[in-house]
Amino acid sequence: MATISLKNVSKKWAGFTGVDALSLDIADGEFLVLLGPSGCGKTTTMRMIAGLETISDGEIWIGDRVVNTLEPKDRDIAMVFQSYGLYPTMSVYENIRFPLRVRKVPRETHHERVMRAAAMVELGDFLERRPAALSGGQRQRVALARAIVRQPTVFLMDEPLSNLDAKLRVSTRAQIKNLHHELKTTTIYVTHDQIEAMTLADRVVVMNRGIVQQVGTPMQIYDRPANTFVAGFIGSPAMNLIEGDIRSGVFTATNMRVEGLAGMPDGPVTLGFRAEDAGVADRGGQISAPVYSMELLGDASMVTVQCGKALAAVKTPKDFRIAIGAPVGITVPASICHFFDARSGHRIEHPGKD
Amino acid sequence: MSVLTAKTSPWMRGAAIGFITLWLLMAAFPFVWTLWGSFKVQGDFFSRQDWLNALYGVQTLAETGSSFTGRGYYGAWVEREFWRSVINTGIVTGFVVVISLTFGTLGGYALSRSTARYAFWILIAALIFRAMPHITLLSGYLLPFFQLGVWGYLSTAIIVLVAINQPFTIWMLNSFFQTIPKDLDESAMVDGCSRFQAFRLVIIPVMWPGVITTGLFSFLLAYNDFAVTAVLLSQENQTMVPKIASFMGSTQVQGNVMFAVSAVVSATVPLFILVLFFQRHIVSGLTAGAVKG
Amino acid sequence: MPHRTFIAFILPSALAMLIFIALPIVSVVVQSLFIEHERVMVTAENCGPFGCKKESHVDEAATAELRRDQPLGRFNGLGTYLDRKHLAAKEVREAFAEASGPIDFLTRVGSLPLYKALGFTLAYTFVVTPLVLILGFMIALAVNALPYFVKGPVIFASLLPMIITPLIGSLILFWMIDANGIIGASLQALFNDPDLSLKASPTLTWITLMVYGVWHSAPFAFVVFYAGLQTLPHDTLESAMIDGANRFERIRFVVLPHLMPLAIFVGLIQLMDNFRVFEPIVGFNAGASATSLSYAIYTDLRSTGAPLFGSAAATSMLTIIGICILMAPVLVRTWRDFKRRH
Repeated sequence: MATISLKNVSKKWAGFTGVDALSLDIADGEFLVLLGPSGCGKTTTMRMIAGLETISDGEIWIGDRVVNTLEPKDRDIAMVFQSYGLYPTMSVYENIRFPLRVRKVPRETHHERVMRAAAMVELGDFLERRPAALSGGQRQRVALARAIVRQPTVFLMDEPLSNLDAKLRVSTRAQIKNLHHELKTTTIYVTHDQIEAMTLADRVVVMNRGIVQQVGTPMQIYDRPANTFVAGFIGSPAMNLIEGDIRSGVFTATNMRVEGLAGMPDGPVTLGFRAEDAGVADRGGQISAPVYSMELLGDASMVTVQCGKALAAVKTPKDFRIAIGAPVGITVPASICHFFDARSGHRIEHPGKD
Repeated sequence: MSVLTAKTSPWMRGAAIGFITLWLLMAAFPFVWTLWGSFKVQGDFFSRQDWLNALYGVQTLAETGSSFTGRGYYGAWVEREFWRSVINTGIVTGFVVVISLTFGTLGGYALSRSTARYAFWILIAALIFRAMPHITLLSGYLLPFFQLGVWGYLSTAIIVLVAINQPFTIWMLNSFFQTIPKDLDESAMVDGCSRFQAFRLVIIPVMWPGVITTGLFSFLLAYNDFAVTAVLLSQENQTMVPKIASFMGSTQVQGNVMFAVSAVVSATVPLFILVLFFQRHIVSGLTAGAVKG
Repeated sequence: MPHRTFIAFILPSALAMLIFIALPIVSVVVQSLFIEHERVMVTAENCGPFGCKKESHVDEAATAELRRDQPLGRFNGLGTYLDRKHLAAKEVREAFAEASGPIDFLTRVGSLPLYKALGFTLAYTFVVTPLVLILGFMIALAVNALPYFVKGPVIFASLLPMIITPLIGSLILFWMIDANGIIGASLQALFNDPDLSLKASPTLTWITLMVYGVWHSAPFAFVVFYAGLQTLPHDTLESAMIDGANRFERIRFVVLPHLMPLAIFVGLIQLMDNFRVFEPIVGFNAGASATSLSYAIYTDLRSTGAPLFGSAAATSMLTIIGICILMAPVLVRTWRDFKRRH
């Protein structure tokens, strides 16, 4: 068990910055998710913590030690890789035992620890098989068992679910959540899937182009995205973002007019709202435009309209039906609106909101 | 493949089979012929009257009283002590293979796992070294080796062959190592291995097929070498190939060409066995470098 | 990988290459600038009944001592490079001045040792390499069409010419083309010419060596192309069929482009290997009518008496420069690829 601190950590390659001056404190026992699109630096950050990537600048602390120059083996961590990294020439049992073997853990404890780890991930029946004879989900669980067998101070997980099919992903996600609850080991988890981030994390770090965009609990990130990048990345569908102008408390854009924004400064601004917060109006509404597309999702229907260049989606009850091209009005009250600086994309708090 | 051969006309098929038969004849017949002929006397294998004599062994029957004779083999192995060269070849190839693989797996692994620019330059330098005719290097060795008094020994030839084969070996092993995902070494290191432990405990067990294939080619390079062994070894330390070459000089005069023929057949047998057992490895080895194009 | 670990891993291999490949090149450069000592002559007056006579003879002891003290020989600058056995600056100039036409000039230059060796080496390289590619491709196509169960034995037999020790392979063929051997005798019967000998005429010797070269290397091209045929892009082939391409158009537009990188690979390896052609000349005992650069170095090193280190080194240097020129396009390409990837 340990806290982890990153102090101004950077990773630079010739002419390219992978991670830029990242600072972060991770509490003991916390489940932290690094979230971002591919190439955002989240995996590099994790690999620097693991010691698989050298650190160009800054310091990484695990517990009370600076680990910058320590070998991976000396950092007391365990890691689950995207493609699992199982040893193809060893049986499942030997795979799980491997960390104990190379770390010279007393031999007589091996069997008990391997069996306990295998039981936690329900692998008892496959111990004699080779990894090649396992399904994707089973391999994934071998990787998990190998990580937990030694009870390290930190777990690192690099997109561990991305090679699984959708159904298995949901059940394994639950299993990981449960494991963390039981072991209470500090965990850093890298993913590009915001649903995984929302469901698993105590705190989420959203990254883009090597820079941290926002750190917060899943609800903070969902409710108060710090900028247009986070707003556009979190939620399904992502937040609608519409560029327009505010003049004396009124936001206007193509096909759209929102009133009641007293106290907001005048000028160009990006307005955001979530599809699930808005609804179709019986009459009037802040947006009135022809329907661009209509999608049935089963539990809801999604109506999309165009506001200038931007598309705006609205979630409606599941039995709502409307023809493409028919005029529709959408209610977007000021209370559900988020505002972002048109140039920098940073969030602007508006005084009227609760 | 079925797409390519679908709807092949009988004419095309016939032409292909005829062509292949011709090629097989070209490829294999010389060996069969020489193997057969090695059990004849010179008067039959190089018959002045009719080459068919080599088939029936007319002279052989007249000279030895049997259609087959082991005289050539006796002459080469016993009279001319070809067995010494066989032992020398065994020593040289054995050591060359083991040392080449040891150096090559370490180096090839490092090259496959490094993203630094110098790794690329080492590979390019190796490529240039690979292109260099071996004999040009020999003219560099000979004088210093004379001066240092290390000329003529088996160990000198071994070290030189190892070095000359290194460029090829590290290229081949590098491309084999690159087919092994980096995740494997990284999980091993996180699990508590040093780089070397990860290499030894995790990577090498997975690499065996590649190591065996590369070993085969190191073997062939050492076994088939003529330039290095002919120039660097003293008379008494000669390996098979230069020994056969020196047979040619002396036996032609004495009418003992059959000694050389028998020695040639003897030296070919191990290669046959090698192809017989390791055909798959050889094919995969030849293509390993090409796959990356 | 950290630099320190990298060095630890690469060290044995790098040291071996440095000491036994890079240093010998330096040694070659140095040696090529020196030439063997002249023999030390002593002049003694020999007086007999018919008066005194001056006689000079070799002082063996002094010569040996000089050789021992200065094994490199005496400094000769670029002299060795320019002498008759190498670039033959004077002879080429003369030939240029006196030649009646370009053909005559080339004939004159071609009879100089180095140019003769260079001529054969280049001819061998650039005749054998394309023939190997073509023959290898044809064998691959034909084997690919064979039924599955004969493929293994066919590949086995096809590998033999390549796997065989070059010197031994050329000896085997050499005995067969002997006037009393099976091929030599058959050819004499075929052309009804009892004096026909493949060894006598330079042209026939050249052809024999090149046939050997193709025989020896075609299996390599075959195996690579055959492996390439196993990984043909089936989707592309099938869409080509749907688009209406016939068999030859499919080979032309799908198969050949797919095999192109392999052809470049095989061609490159062949270029390197054929440029060092050496063993067949020894095996076929063909030094009189065909010499290669490697063979010229070999004869210098094995010359009776003392090895001609300076001469061998100069030829080696010229050979190395030749191989660098040959490889330059490849290296430039590899460098560009590398730059693009990083």
